[in-house]
Amino acid sequence: MVTTVPYLHKPQLKTSVTGLQWTRAEHVKRESPNILTLPRDLLQSLWLSLAGIAFPAPQRGSESVVIDIEKLMEWLARKVRFENPHSIREYLLRFTELLDVIPEAVDAAKKHFPEAQLVMDVYQDPEIADCYLVLYMRLKHYDDSVIERLEKAEAEFLNQLVNKRGWIQLTTDFREPEGEGAV
Amino acid sequence: MGKKYANPPIEEAVCEFRLTPETRWDLTVPGLLYERLKETFPQKEQRMIQEVELTQGPEGLQQQIRTSERLWFFTEDRKMLAQVGPRLLAVNALKPYPHWEGFKPRIDMVWKSLQETVEVQGLERIGLRYINRIELPAPNVKFDEYFDFYPFVGQRLPQHIAYFLAAVEFSYADDRDHCRVQLAPIRLSGKEGKAAFMLDLDYFLTRPRGVAAADALAWVEEAHSRVEEVFEGCITDKLRNMFEEVL
Repeated sequence: MVTTVPYLHKPQLKTSVTGLQWTRAEHVKRESPNILTLPRDLLQSLWLSLAGIAFPAPQRGSESVVIDIEKLMEWLARKVRFENPHSIREYLLRFTELLDVIPEAVDAAKKHFPEAQLVMDVYQDPEIADCYLVLYMRLKHYDDSVIERLEKAEAEFLNQLVNKRGWIQLTTDFREPEGEGAV
Repeated sequence: MGKKYANPPIEEAVCEFRLTPETRWDLTVPGLLYERLKETFPQKEQRMIQEVELTQGPEGLQQQIRTSERLWFFTEDRKMLAQVGPRLLAVNALKPYPHWEGFKPRIDMVWKSLQETVEVQGLERIGLRYINRIELPAPNVKFDEYFDFYPFVGQRLPQHIAYFLAAVEFSYADDRDHCRVQLAPIRLSGKEGKAAFMLDLDYFLTRPRGVAAADALAWVEEAHSRVEEVFEGCITDKLRNMFEEVL
């Protein structure tokens, strides 16, 4: 039986494969899961791809934009609290080029703010017709290092936003973590 | 002729053509194809796609990773796109679904443009897929009120379902074609006070070279009829009423 499972690629990094992050293995310690964990992770998780394993369908790829977004949302749901998932989905449909960047942004945020609750929302500028994705870091305690860490995290993916439509902004609203996933 | 709805739940429709390895394909093909398509699909995007190939052999599960470049050509309003990868062509229609009368001519146009660009030797796979997002007005619903396709859970089993995936493949044309139907819930934030499900219908050619390139568009037309039948078979009148049939 041969089946193919699509996942997105992080072309800039030699040792990390973004698609592998789209798994739900709970015990993978590293930020970017090891490639060897993939089949088990897949079998544990990717519901949308599972049918592709259960039903042999040669040469299945990822041709659906919506499925790509749903897989990303599934992966994000483990790491990020959504303020308004519907708006996020709509934004991603409009700005598909961000699909490859978001995992990098979230990983960078997790790396520099391991203690933070990450909250994703779509920010709509009230004065001009502009909106973008926002990833808020919410901490129990804010200190002087926050801004510097934010800048370092942002530097890890900012170059990938160049020449792309859409934007994701890393920031903090200086609120405390709340609700499910609060740390 | 199938039913038409004022509020169709279709999030995306995808028509995919994968060519057999004998078809000559090189790096110039996407560019040449773009030249033919750019009036309709002017906005270019590029992505790197990796596919993991899982092979069940005598030594167990083996994996191979393939990376390929995928070009996405969007229409000006970004409601439709053509995807081009190595021996792959797909046409996607995003919501609002333009109905078959709006989608089929684009499929025809893109497929014919490909045929004018490369000599298609054969088709490995053709697929016509409809991804529906169905939102229901309450967080907990009785499946059988809305669906005629859902997981059956006997009385001796727990009745609180945290998650499920219902999937089946139907066989058509002496097993030349299959229609895969999947129903699964979509995660919502919990604030919405409603439930959402993804109903994914994928009609595809199971036998490589089972359809000649010259017959590909006729196959797509037939596939569409089958998908419509299956979709109607999956839902109840209550759901049909929510979609508001246009007479």
